[in-house]
Amino acid sequence: MRIDTGSLPAYARGCAVLGSGGGGPVTIARAAALQALYDHGPVRVVQPGELDPELLVMPVGSAGSSAVMSERVGGTDEPVHLRRQIERRYGTPVGAVLASEIGGANGCLALAWAARLGLPLVDADGMSRAFPRMNQTVMELRGISATPAVMCDGRGRTVVIEHVDGRWLERLVRAALEPFGGQAATTEYVMRGHQVASATALGSVTRALRLGTELPAPLVSGKIAETGSIVIEGLGADLGRLVRIEAGTEFLAVLEDGAPLAVVPDVIALLDARTGEVVDTEHVRYGLRVSVVRVPCDPVWYTEEGLRLAGPEAFGLTGLAVPARGLPDTPSAPPAGPGAAPGAPRVRARSEAGGAPPASGGPRRPEAGEVAR
Amino acid sequence: MKAGVDIGPTNTDAALLHDAGAVLATVKVASVPGDPVASVTAALGRLAAPPLVQVAVGLHGAASAVAGRRGLCRVAALRIGGQEAQAIRPLFGWPDDLRRAVEAGSAVVDGGGGLDRADWTPLDRDAVARFAASVAGRAQAVAVTGLFSPLDAEQEQEAAEIVRAELGDLPIALSADLGSLGLLERENATVLDAALSGFAADMAARLASALAPVTAVHVTRGDGTLMSLEHLARHPGLSLGSGPASMLRGAGALTGLADAVVADVGARRVRVGALAGGFPEEAVAGARIGGVPVGLRIPELVRVARPVEPAELAEAVDRMQPGAGRLPLVVVGGGAHAVPDGLHPEHATAAGAIGAATSPVGGQYERIVRLAGRADLPAAMEAVVEQARASAVRAGADPLHVRIVEAADTPLDYLPGPFVRLRARAAGPPARL
Repeated sequence: MRIDTGSLPAYARGCAVLGSGGGGPVTIARAAALQALYDHGPVRVVQPGELDPELLVMPVGSAGSSAVMSERVGGTDEPVHLRRQIERRYGTPVGAVLASEIGGANGCLALAWAARLGLPLVDADGMSRAFPRMNQTVMELRGISATPAVMCDGRGRTVVIEHVDGRWLERLVRAALEPFGGQAATTEYVMRGHQVASATALGSVTRALRLGTELPAPLVSGKIAETGSIVIEGLGADLGRLVRIEAGTEFLAVLEDGAPLAVVPDVIALLDARTGEVVDTEHVRYGLRVSVVRVPCDPVWYTEEGLRLAGPEAFGLTGLAVPARGLPDTPSAPPAGPGAAPGAPRVRARSEAGGAPPASGGPRRPEAGEVAR
Repeated sequence: MKAGVDIGPTNTDAALLHDAGAVLATVKVASVPGDPVASVTAALGRLAAPPLVQVAVGLHGAASAVAGRRGLCRVAALRIGGQEAQAIRPLFGWPDDLRRAVEAGSAVVDGGGGLDRADWTPLDRDAVARFAASVAGRAQAVAVTGLFSPLDAEQEQEAAEIVRAELGDLPIALSADLGSLGLLERENATVLDAALSGFAADMAARLASALAPVTAVHVTRGDGTLMSLEHLARHPGLSLGSGPASMLRGAGALTGLADAVVADVGARRVRVGALAGGFPEEAVAGARIGGVPVGLRIPELVRVARPVEPAELAEAVDRMQPGAGRLPLVVVGGGAHAVPDGLHPEHATAAGAIGAATSPVGGQYERIVRLAGRADLPAAMEAVVEQARASAVRAGADPLHVRIVEAADTPLDYLPGPFVRLRARAAGPPARL
């Protein structure tokens, strides 16, 4: 299978859905991928089983602020600089590219960079969605070493990080982001071909392509009635329903009468009913007509160790029923959970220590008179 | 006595107003196809006005020139950003026909900035000169877009001087004058601004001679203010979005409301926008002109097709509200009778012309700054306010009567560091000549 300029829009839309409201807007990364495909031709998508066992597989993505990326759109050589450092350290050529994070901008960047390097893209990724922290990966769960890791910018300014685990990698990368101007290209959790099948979320690229054209039936459709704590009032067939969405940098939970309809690690996507575009957490505003879609995540995230790293409690959501992999895509009735009981503990989103920059409340409308003088 | 004129695709409206703002008369004439200036003189002729002091005109020709790919200059697009800004070339993704009509070469030269002073790379002056030389004879205008120029526009100005030394006196558009962060959208707006410079210079000259001896002739801008004909010739992109903007302003003038949702009912569609603090609510993202995403300060609009489906219109109105049912709805435009809801002020069919006549000459200035503490805010804001005032005066406002209508500081939580967007808008009556 190949991704070319024709299939890019579906792939990019699927990546946006898998962003679960975060992961950075795909607009710039999709344009970068379009130029890369236009300049270098289609990218071959390979299955983990097709990889030579000793082949070096390089996960790539960008870390930092997507607002910076809207201005500093990036160069053409970031993946070249990353590859050079990795090859120097391993002594063998990199043979394939993997998306560190399929959700949001990074899914498209991995495609762009595979095209620029002339390498295949593995049909898998590190997260099966977007997560705010670099160590929230399947590779981390499977004991793949986070380092050597490399960060660089378009000019080839480079930092190599050695001898740290995933948590420390996150700390050091965040610390280095400021001198990098808020955003940098990275590679980490480099693997050999034989490790990919057991240490990544499988089928992510084909899943993004599929979600780009075909989505599960929505949990609810309605209008955004409140934005501080997001409330959606059902419309049409959902008239009378009231659904609350918890969000950090991603949408984390969908609740109806206190009972969860979807909870992280479930992917939660909001789609603008008018344009069909994916709405991210920064663009939630009053009056938008949206449908809310739940897409199950990779099964590994629903295991005990998966939930510890990226379940609701990792995002400060307490008192929620542990999501079950078996949740239907389109529940006919809200599933009963402990949260449905009267007096159930209130769900709260805490800011995460050492996490991504705080989610902004979206573009704020100036209040009348507030700024006049 | 002053007049406003609003040139639509089918009809041209004109309104005669007392200096204090009361509407004395309105007329509607058929627009002269392809000749906006003739439409203006026809409408003003029908108005049978006594000698006028001021005339403000909503031209709206800029958007149709882009949409129709007519009368556009060939533009050399220069981007300053080196390897930080190569992943997407200038004009990449533009509709082919628009690109063919506009592009006279493009280049990305080294230089450009970042969020921090230490992030800046020196401008590659030789590369700028080489690029300018390479487009000599082909380019009729130049668009310069510097990486992070909304924080510091110095390299754009430096590049413009080099281009001028190489190519002589031709229109040069600088991105920091037009938009905010978001390199590609700002660059697109800048290229369109440069592409419109021939159209704008021609319009300015013809309007001035057609309306002589009236000297205070102004045209509408996308932010709901006015600018002089000289300013139009220098910054034609500022007139993009001016049609909806003056319609919104007119709805405000006719109702006395500073905050409202406004439905402008035309022959084929309804455009729903909002007034906030007396000026149009601006599109946050997603504005497109001629198929190109642009970062311009133009009104946010939701469009609804006619015949009007009431539920669809109600949804559009709700979408423009800041919260459920908070603001009144004002219905204006030639087809206002098709929408029974909301306020229907007198003269609503000429709201665009009235908005043009009653709007002040405006200017604005925006910079993103790193502020260590709130204590540094007043000094930083004062500098921005002064620039806004100067911008309004350059656009033709009376320096003695310019006042600041907005001075806002917005923390940019999504940027790493204590960044604040400072923005000031100034407005005043036209300078008397």
